[in-house]
Amino acid sequence: MTIDLNGIGIDYTAILPELVVAGTMIVVLFLELFVPPGRRNVLAAVTVLGLIAALVANVPLWGQNRVAFAGTVTGDSLAAFFNVVLIGVAILTAVISPRYLRALQLDYGEYYILLLGATLGMMLLAAATSLMTIFLGIELLSICLYVLCGFARAQLRSQESALKYLLLGGFATGFLLYGMALIYGATGSTTLRGIAAFSTAEASGNVLLLLGIGFLSIGLAFKASAAPFHMWTPDVYEGAPTIVTTFMSVATKSAAFAAIGRVFIATFPAIANRWYIPLALIAVLSLAVGNLVAITQDNLKRMLAYSGIAHAGFILLGILPGTAEGFGATLFYVAAYAVMNFGAFAVVTSIGAAGEQTADISYWRGLFYRRPFLATVMTIFLLSLAGIPPTVGFFAKLFVFKALVTSQIWLPLAVAIIMTIVSFYYYLRVIVVMLAVPAEGIAVKERVGASMGTVLAVSAAGTMILGIFPSFVLDWATRAASLHL
Amino acid sequence: MGWYALTNNAPWLTLVLVVPLAGALLVALVPSMARRAVKQLGVLTAGATLLLVLLVIGGFQHGVGNLRFQFEEVRQWIPGVGISYHLGVDGLSLFLLGLNALLFLLAIAVADPATPRFKQFVLLLLILEAATAGVLLSLDLILFYVFWEAMLVPLYFLIGAWGEGRRVYAAFKFLIYTVVGSFAMLVAILAVAAISFSQTGQLTFDWPALVAHPASGLAHLPLGLTVGVQQLLFLGFGLAFAIKMPLFPLHTWLPPAYTASPIPVLIVFAGLVSKLGAYGFIRFNLALFPDAAHSLGPFLAVLATIGILYGAFMALVQTDLKRLVAYASMSHLGFIGLGIFTGNLLGIEGALVQMVNHGVIIAALFLIVAMIERRTGTRERAQLRGLATGTPLFAALFLLVSLAALGLPGLNGFVGEFLIMLGAWSAFLPLAVAAGIGVILAAWYVLRMYQGAFQDGPVEPTGFGEMRATDVGVLAPLLALMVLIGISPAFFPAAVEATVKALPVLTR
Repeated sequence: MTIDLNGIGIDYTAILPELVVAGTMIVVLFLELFVPPGRRNVLAAVTVLGLIAALVANVPLWGQNRVAFAGTVTGDSLAAFFNVVLIGVAILTAVISPRYLRALQLDYGEYYILLLGATLGMMLLAAATSLMTIFLGIELLSICLYVLCGFARAQLRSQESALKYLLLGGFATGFLLYGMALIYGATGSTTLRGIAAFSTAEASGNVLLLLGIGFLSIGLAFKASAAPFHMWTPDVYEGAPTIVTTFMSVATKSAAFAAIGRVFIATFPAIANRWYIPLALIAVLSLAVGNLVAITQDNLKRMLAYSGIAHAGFILLGILPGTAEGFGATLFYVAAYAVMNFGAFAVVTSIGAAGEQTADISYWRGLFYRRPFLATVMTIFLLSLAGIPPTVGFFAKLFVFKALVTSQIWLPLAVAIIMTIVSFYYYLRVIVVMLAVPAEGIAVKERVGASMGTVLAVSAAGTMILGIFPSFVLDWATRAASLHL
Repeated sequence: MGWYALTNNAPWLTLVLVVPLAGALLVALVPSMARRAVKQLGVLTAGATLLLVLLVIGGFQHGVGNLRFQFEEVRQWIPGVGISYHLGVDGLSLFLLGLNALLFLLAIAVADPATPRFKQFVLLLLILEAATAGVLLSLDLILFYVFWEAMLVPLYFLIGAWGEGRRVYAAFKFLIYTVVGSFAMLVAILAVAAISFSQTGQLTFDWPALVAHPASGLAHLPLGLTVGVQQLLFLGFGLAFAIKMPLFPLHTWLPPAYTASPIPVLIVFAGLVSKLGAYGFIRFNLALFPDAAHSLGPFLAVLATIGILYGAFMALVQTDLKRLVAYASMSHLGFIGLGIFTGNLLGIEGALVQMVNHGVIIAALFLIVAMIERRTGTRERAQLRGLATGTPLFAALFLLVSLAALGLPGLNGFVGEFLIMLGAWSAFLPLAVAAGIGVILAAWYVLRMYQGAFQDGPVEPTGFGEMRATDVGVLAPLLALMVLIGISPAFFPAAVEATVKALPVLTR
């Protein structure tokens, strides 16, 4: 269904998934007016159905390279890969939302609209091949998330979280835009294709371009919560409603890495010698800060926030070689991280439905005896986050290690290895606490619930199955990683 | 030649892994209240696995045939990264596989259905059985690592959730030690693959491909590495195995873990899992890094000998029978380590034989300790006296196990220890002498345990009951093995000799 408009090829198939999500968003927006307050489950159902349709809409993109809207978006395997991850996470989030929102008396229809909006922004970011669309995607996802973080309006922590995210996010966006302006000034183009054509080896001395790349990287690293641009992460994750944290911790990071891949691997391969060291520093710093600070955290949400920073470092390591193999490892890691971290946060959400103080580790003492199902799936997620087989986290780390070994990148590899050992401590500590003799006085709380139970079982099964048969996802990731602008 | 030829069309070894897992799945479907059904299903599954393994052992071709792997299965697993699903048995793993199946059957058979959360207990034991079998059968380094780590989680929960005393502390200590050691091994595995990749341009984690490495130029001189690099990689693998064994001074997780473990877990933990560390040394360290094995051998042999004496002395001062046997086990593992690090045929053969023997003996000892505890409610040596009065059968069987444990000729314990001593004698004479002291100490603490509890004065506590048929039934296969191996000591060495002789550490 290509419509030629003034010589600009407008290929709607290339953004079909985005269109479906946007359409769903509008439908939910209007539906919300007519659904009585007690029946808001309908909104969740429509959201899930729309997202499933969007998932199917990715099929025509696989193996394609559909450049559309004058080169500003590209529907290719990479976009499809991220769309599947992002939409998958959004679906799981929407399924477990109603119960949680009702428990916290936050059951408003805007939630689903904002969730869809954020997903749309992330998908756009994954398909963006122009500075304009990158900015559009980032802003769309950010603004929706700012509101979602403050969704528990009555709670001060939630308000604080939203405000912090908004102020720091606005600051980061300033860097991003400034970098884009500089890059445009240096190259005369806003599409990545045009910028790539300019950025040959001779351009590696162009100060304007390099400054621009630096500022752009700061903006993207902020969204990926990589150190030293991570400061907002623990506070925002802790304060936001846990269901929002669950979604954003996984989805935002994934989308940011799609953009980082498109920018560094596809646009600036010729000047890799310029960005290699700063990127390596960011990766190593994220690994160190994330893992070392996570040790001292007694709040599960903060611990997982720091662990997320550490994982951002791991994911960045896959970018360093600048090869399709390395980027394939990155993509596999993103998918693995999505499954296991979503699961871990979903458990925190499930427990948190009883009240928000439950993220403190003392509450988790003896969880195995009170909530055996939650404790069992949490164990699986934590083992996976620590990288212990037979879970997907092991292969995620293994593939990144292997990409570094074949590219002979030794120093970051050494840091990654040491930090993996460090990480064992704080992940395993939670497992141990859950097994410890239960403290008196904590009564058995409500049951898990069918929707949450299903979502957790699916995530746990995904973590295990991908840990035993990682081949087919690795295959997809590797093919999605072979970028062509 | 084997006793019979088994068709090569069936995936025998995969079945050995799948049957326990399928049993675990069935157990998961049984309602928790049906404790007897859970137990019957568990015993049935472990029994079927044992039959399958016996079938494999019977079909195993001895002699020249065991130079290569048998019942091999190779399938692609993650082709992009050179990781394959490669299983096989040879002389090194064959009998340990049998021990594995036997000990798990006994463990589930003696498990008490009244245990809280009994269903999960049996489930975890069956998963553990599949993992330990996988460790013995894997011929791909990553596959091996996956199974190696897969043992960790069931064991952790079996100790931490069903243990006694400071179970959570013990489980955590065990977990941290093992995880760190295993990770060192993972790094070494990656390094081996990377080195092989840089030499051949082909990424593989396949054990046979790495050991008969084309780039080495010489047959059985793997990887063609300098001694320095080999030593580094040797230590990477060695850390994981030394912790599991455990080798002195990495043993400090053992006393709390063994003390906390419930008896069924202890049977497989002390009887089998500890041996997997020794197996790993032979399978990987001696095969992949023969030069390092020679240069580091004396140092490690000294550590192993310290372990023999340390374990023996600690066993002497224990008053709790369970702890006494735990330290005895550590002492015996020291013998196995000493045999491995001699780097000669006799020592390694002896270690292999002793691995099976020790599994049989230590399982029997723990079973007897459990029987005494069940009858008297105590394991304190000081509170037990003269129990042999009125229980001649119990006393006789305990004596038989004790004699096997202290290495009396004619019983199985002697065979392995003697071979190890012969090997050590020619390699490191002073260590052989020190290990000899360990043998004497073993006689002391074992006989003191037996005599203290069963002879030596009037019965205390009273009402000590004779062995029941079920007790004898559980001990019978172990006792039969003790006697059989003891009277035909050449059986095991003949089966493993060809495999051991082909080890790079001996052929370099």
